[in-house]
Amino acid sequence: MVSPTADEGAAKPAKPFFLWRHLNKLRWLTLTIVFALLVLLPFLHVYQTYTAAHAYDLLSPGEKQLYDVMEAIAAPFVSDPAEDLDAIKGNTWSGSFWGFKISDPLAALGQVAASLSFYWPFLLTALIPVVATIIFGRFFCGWICPATFIYELNSNFASWLRWAGIRVGNRRFDKRIKYGVLALGLILSAVSGSVLAGVVYPPAIIGREIYYTVAQGGLGVGTIFFLGTLLFDILISRRGFCRYLCPGGALYSLLGRYRLVRIRRIVETCNDCAKCNVVCEFDLDPLRDGFGQECNNCTACIAICPTDALTFTIRPTDYPKQGPGHLGQLYRKEHQAAGDRNA
Amino acid sequence: MKRRTFLKRLITGAVLLGSAALLYGVTPLLAPRQATAKRNYLRPPGALEDDDAFTAACIGCGLCGEVCPPRCIKFHTRDGGAKVNLPYIDAAEKACILCDKCMEVCPTESLTVMPRDKIDMGLAEIDQTACYPWVDRGVCGACVSICPLGKQAIGYKMWNQYRPEVRDGCVGCGLCVEVCPHPSVPIWVVSRPNDIKV
Repeated sequence: MVSPTADEGAAKPAKPFFLWRHLNKLRWLTLTIVFALLVLLPFLHVYQTYTAAHAYDLLSPGEKQLYDVMEAIAAPFVSDPAEDLDAIKGNTWSGSFWGFKISDPLAALGQVAASLSFYWPFLLTALIPVVATIIFGRFFCGWICPATFIYELNSNFASWLRWAGIRVGNRRFDKRIKYGVLALGLILSAVSGSVLAGVVYPPAIIGREIYYTVAQGGLGVGTIFFLGTLLFDILISRRGFCRYLCPGGALYSLLGRYRLVRIRRIVETCNDCAKCNVVCEFDLDPLRDGFGQECNNCTACIAICPTDALTFTIRPTDYPKQGPGHLGQLYRKEHQAAGDRNA
Repeated sequence: MKRRTFLKRLITGAVLLGSAALLYGVTPLLAPRQATAKRNYLRPPGALEDDDAFTAACIGCGLCGEVCPPRCIKFHTRDGGAKVNLPYIDAAEKACILCDKCMEVCPTESLTVMPRDKIDMGLAEIDQTACYPWVDRGVCGACVSICPLGKQAIGYKMWNQYRPEVRDGCVGCGLCVEVCPHPSVPIWVVSRPNDIKV
């Protein structure tokens, strides 16, 4: 083993780019924007139907209010709301941007399972997410998924409960359960001939349910399921649905197994404080270089690291285990002992 | 009560319930099929002809509903079993205006873009025992005047210029059903005779 002095002489430890510890804020911003859009789009759709019907005088006072607010929001961007607002439609399950369609890979896979055939025009709409997932891993789960927005708030709520002295669940299960859920969902899709995977997939549920609530006059059955997952997360296992059960998360984990953009630990500046392990929503082990295919590059660990010892790297596999951090007690003890012997 | 008798009763009850349920399951299979299936729920325009294929192809994203200007496309939100989240149109409540937007936006092409006269949501059928002009209770013609397809789809009888008749060009959009002023709505959309599977 090289002595600390020789180490210092060899090379300075890598420092993460200074903006990376602010990525977590950017992530919350994107999550908020996605969620806000999911809420706004159905309202805009209702507004569109009013304009298409030229029916302002027939609206009830509440509907007029909705009309006015939506008009104020949309007016700077569109001249003919009934047509122009069609530019952005849909949700994270499947969306349309100026005629360009993007779908969730799970939707594509679910449809393949349900119809037992490949319909390429649709499967190609999932191409961009698939490629992005191969590069960035499970980034959808951390950066876009509208359910993550609620689940992370739910985790914070659970920690408030814990602070208030109410016991919340923090049981751990096998992370591989979700691959079983994915397989079962696909099998059931094939048996029933309908895309059932989307019925137990929170982001798809949330997009739909917000739309149903705003524009279709009532919540659907998915809301019950989603509330159940929130309770599961609070009472049984922190962030348990995403960690152990989500079929989409399973698919993304598999696709992102050899992702190129990874987080790695800089062992020279790590002090073994373990804040990264505590803050990790997915119960990973950044402290011991354990990221694996589950990591969604959410950068919460980078943001919290007090010694800037976590950074991005480009390589298809995790760093091999690097041992205790050089600023930590364990390492110091080992090396003091070694240094004594050397001296 | 002994455990044995309890178990016996439990099993007997289960068997009775099961056999009763079996009857309920079997009876609809034995009942004769209606000659024309009266459709309460229409699929949106351009939907795949085979409803099972439609169920398999549709991912339930709700885009068709989100672009629908009259907001006629609804979804099985709390019902439908395996067909949950699939779109339908309840023509009596709000009918399709054949604007083609849903077909264009559908990512899976479960709703395929097609020319207006190729659309097949069904065929309107008039109940000649209730429709006002047919029972000589007045002059109406609401269905004829609202039809977006004109003469080829619905028109008046040659020999009685007040009585509407549905023609082959009808695509089943259901606007006539929505507009019908008769309290019992004696017009509805049925499957085309050659679409019905036996």
